[in-house]
Amino acid sequence: MRTSLGEKIFYGVNAFLLGLLGISCILPILHIVSLSLSSEHAVMSGFVGLWPVGFTTDSYKLLIEGTNIVNAFKNSVVITVVGTALNILFTILAAYPLSRTYFYWRKPLSLLIVFTMLFTAGLIPSYLLIKSLGLVNSYGALWLPALVSVYNLLVLKTFFENIPGELEDAARIDGCSETRLIMQIMLPLSMPVIATLVLFYAVGHWNSFFNVMIYINSSDKHNLTVLVQQMIMNSQLAQQVTEGQFSDDLTQSVTPQSIQSAGVIAMLLPMLIVYPFLQKYFVKGVMIGSIKG
Amino acid sequence: MSNPTVQLSASRETALRLQRRRRFRMNIPLLVMFSPILVYFILFKYVPMGGLIIAFKQYNLADGILGSPWTGLDNFRLLFNSPMMVTIIKNTFVISILSVLVSFPFPILLAILLNEVRGMVYKRTIQTLVYLPHFLNWVIIGSFVVLIFAQEQGVINKIISALGGEKIQFLYNKSTWLGVFLGSGIWKEAGFGAIIYLAALGNIDPSLYESSSIDGANKLRQMWHITIPGIAPVIILMLILSMEHVMDVGFDQIYVLKNPMVGDIANVISVWSYEVGLGRGQFSITTALGFFQSLVGLVLVLTANKIARKFGQGLW
Repeated sequence: MRTSLGEKIFYGVNAFLLGLLGISCILPILHIVSLSLSSEHAVMSGFVGLWPVGFTTDSYKLLIEGTNIVNAFKNSVVITVVGTALNILFTILAAYPLSRTYFYWRKPLSLLIVFTMLFTAGLIPSYLLIKSLGLVNSYGALWLPALVSVYNLLVLKTFFENIPGELEDAARIDGCSETRLIMQIMLPLSMPVIATLVLFYAVGHWNSFFNVMIYINSSDKHNLTVLVQQMIMNSQLAQQVTEGQFSDDLTQSVTPQSIQSAGVIAMLLPMLIVYPFLQKYFVKGVMIGSIKG
Repeated sequence: MSNPTVQLSASRETALRLQRRRRFRMNIPLLVMFSPILVYFILFKYVPMGGLIIAFKQYNLADGILGSPWTGLDNFRLLFNSPMMVTIIKNTFVISILSVLVSFPFPILLAILLNEVRGMVYKRTIQTLVYLPHFLNWVIIGSFVVLIFAQEQGVINKIISALGGEKIQFLYNKSTWLGVFLGSGIWKEAGFGAIIYLAALGNIDPSLYESSSIDGANKLRQMWHITIPGIAPVIILMLILSMEHVMDVGFDQIYVLKNPMVGDIANVISVWSYEVGLGRGQFSITTALGFFQSLVGLVLVLTANKIARKFGQGLW
């Protein structure tokens, strides 16, 4: 088909606008990277754009030595890895029975679960429950209440339902047990969806902020999000790092803003590394989710 | 003497019984699998719903949930008679309705525009970039917002003052703060929200476009008469789902972006529940407020679904 002049203009303008939009999604990240790598003088005078001015890694050195960011990073990793593993296990355990048409209580149980998506008890009753279970200040308070996301459960259930029944019948005729059926047929076939769910759950745990703030009291158990938020909200904290116990030249060359930026980068980096590899999966996963469950 | 029909029905009966027994046997592993989940949902979702009774009580730590004295609807009366509470409820409504309504069209628009990009590599690149903000948390985005909109060091104000203009207090002014709030929400979620619409757009029959273009329809007309009707079911579905959020302003975004200067409009149920409910131990009234919020949310979703069913688009 030939394209008319009007169409050519349309495609050009469209590509340009979308280009701007795409750039706007990456610019703040570049800016914050360059802030974290720039010298004090450049940051203070506001010269730093998208490229570090007066390159230095001092803010990272100070961040690692002067705060417990290494510990917070470890906590974030533990919260994310264990939490995601539990999520995936229990989401599979829940989605598989609900996807089987011969399961007696399929309808009422689905209803029971979907209702929790529509109506929740709210903050205080949930908090009181966690407290009475003795989970305050332990990671159990982060893992257990969020064990299964109903939305993700429905996505996986829909996917299981759409796996051709002939595969299952053939396996059963060959004497395959339920466990083997799941392990050797259903799960290998659902790897793209499971990869998506891993990403969603993991990002949720990595980013968790509110729950950590209310349930985890001791600061050595805090994760990155809470630590960095405290550094941003309370500039003094960042100031202390730059002025406090360090008397050598290190502190001379770093501003609180650079320290904060370095903290944000610490939070961002693992995500930026994993993201490109998982992107093709999650697009598929979201589309499966769009089929009504 | 053998009667063939009786024999047949008898054998059918045994077959049925066998089948039933087989079906029961097949159900056992499923039930075993599901039981921990059932326990989980009852303990962590339904037990707290029982805890909602403290909305009708004067909760105190010593007596616990069951022992505390009943007060009937006093907490609710207090809610709707206190001007501060009414403001909080109003703020929650205003901010959430605005964020649902204002941000709703953006993913649709973005998907339509992305769908019109010619080069596949270019399209993929843009998609990768616009999906990214969804995965950043509000602490990160909050620091971006400060970098861009802060009064002295903010990028925009630097540009304004370099051009000889007067600096604007974006974050301390109610209307501009609201703009920043809504804008940051759109920036974070529009790209990711577009995925579903892109899927829907992919299902539109391309021959419709070809024939309309032969009939002389330009791009705009095609969008209006083919694209929009083509994805209308998905749009309605997403609108129902977004109703869920009408009473629920997420905590993180407000908490990270708010400051004392905009307290008048930024005080919403989620933040108030955290600060006053948990922070100062006002359990009963906060629970009453949360209860009210959940109920309104439920009614909104059910209503939206009912309306959508009239158009044959209901969720259930």
